[in-house]
Amino acid sequence: MAREEITHGITRASGREVIEMSIPGSVDLVVLARFTAATIGVRADFDLDEIDDLRLAVDELSVSFGPVDLETRLRYEFQRDGDTVHVRCTREPSADDGGAGHSERDIAEWQQARELSAQLLDELVTAHGREIANGRSIAWLMKQRGRAAG
Amino acid sequence: MDQRTSSPSTPASPGLSLPTLEVAGELDLAAAPWLRDQIDALFVGGADSIVVDLSDATFLDSTALGVLVSALNRSRELGGRVHLIVREPQILRVLSITGLDDQFDVHKDRSTLDTGKDPR
Repeated sequence: MAREEITHGITRASGREVIEMSIPGSVDLVVLARFTAATIGVRADFDLDEIDDLRLAVDELSVSFGPVDLETRLRYEFQRDGDTVHVRCTREPSADDGGAGHSERDIAEWQQARELSAQLLDELVTAHGREIANGRSIAWLMKQRGRAAG
Repeated sequence: MDQRTSSPSTPASPGLSLPTLEVAGELDLAAAPWLRDQIDALFVGGADSIVVDLSDATFLDSTALGVLVSALNRSRELGGRVHLIVREPQILRVLSITGLDDQFDVHKDRSTLDTGKDPR
């Protein structure tokens, strides 16, 4: 723990750190967000189940915007404050924000997935929500160690 | 992605005479279109019931789950069922949270496909 303080100026269970990441809207890159979530969950001293839940919850944030394309960027901010993790995922707007080019079946499955996603997030994290800021869609979550749904 | 595999059917036991898809790895946004295509292929032969073997799957998100729900709806319209074989606790948790563990026929392993009994 002392080495941790020397190396990073923080301890794992206390202190604050922020990780920012931006990826193109390529579905196979969302795994990077899950990986980051797991890493920051470890640093918040989450147990294995909580880390799994955080990985899934961050994935759900990513998919909550509906279909994405390479013209879209997903920007993540992971913030750990002691034993609490906050994640904000911002979808940078693209010319194709309406899902153009996707089939009706695609859209129907997305709608279904969105409902399932909301159910999952309700259970996996302490709090979550969505907002619009400066014309950008933002999905966020907060998960505190030892506490699931709030 | 590379870990995903599929098997259209396997005759190892009576229950497995049903069209079966074996899936491994992480089933997420990237995998969902692949999963949908593979499941569509199972129904092409006229089957009303299918088996999706998730024994070696390690992750399931809402997009992949949505594909499975579509398969469930399709199967029900045909009078059939969708059997899921699940070992991973996190995937069981996803099914439980969404209440879908009661909608699919969930099995721990392939042996219970023979009898249709759910050991859970």
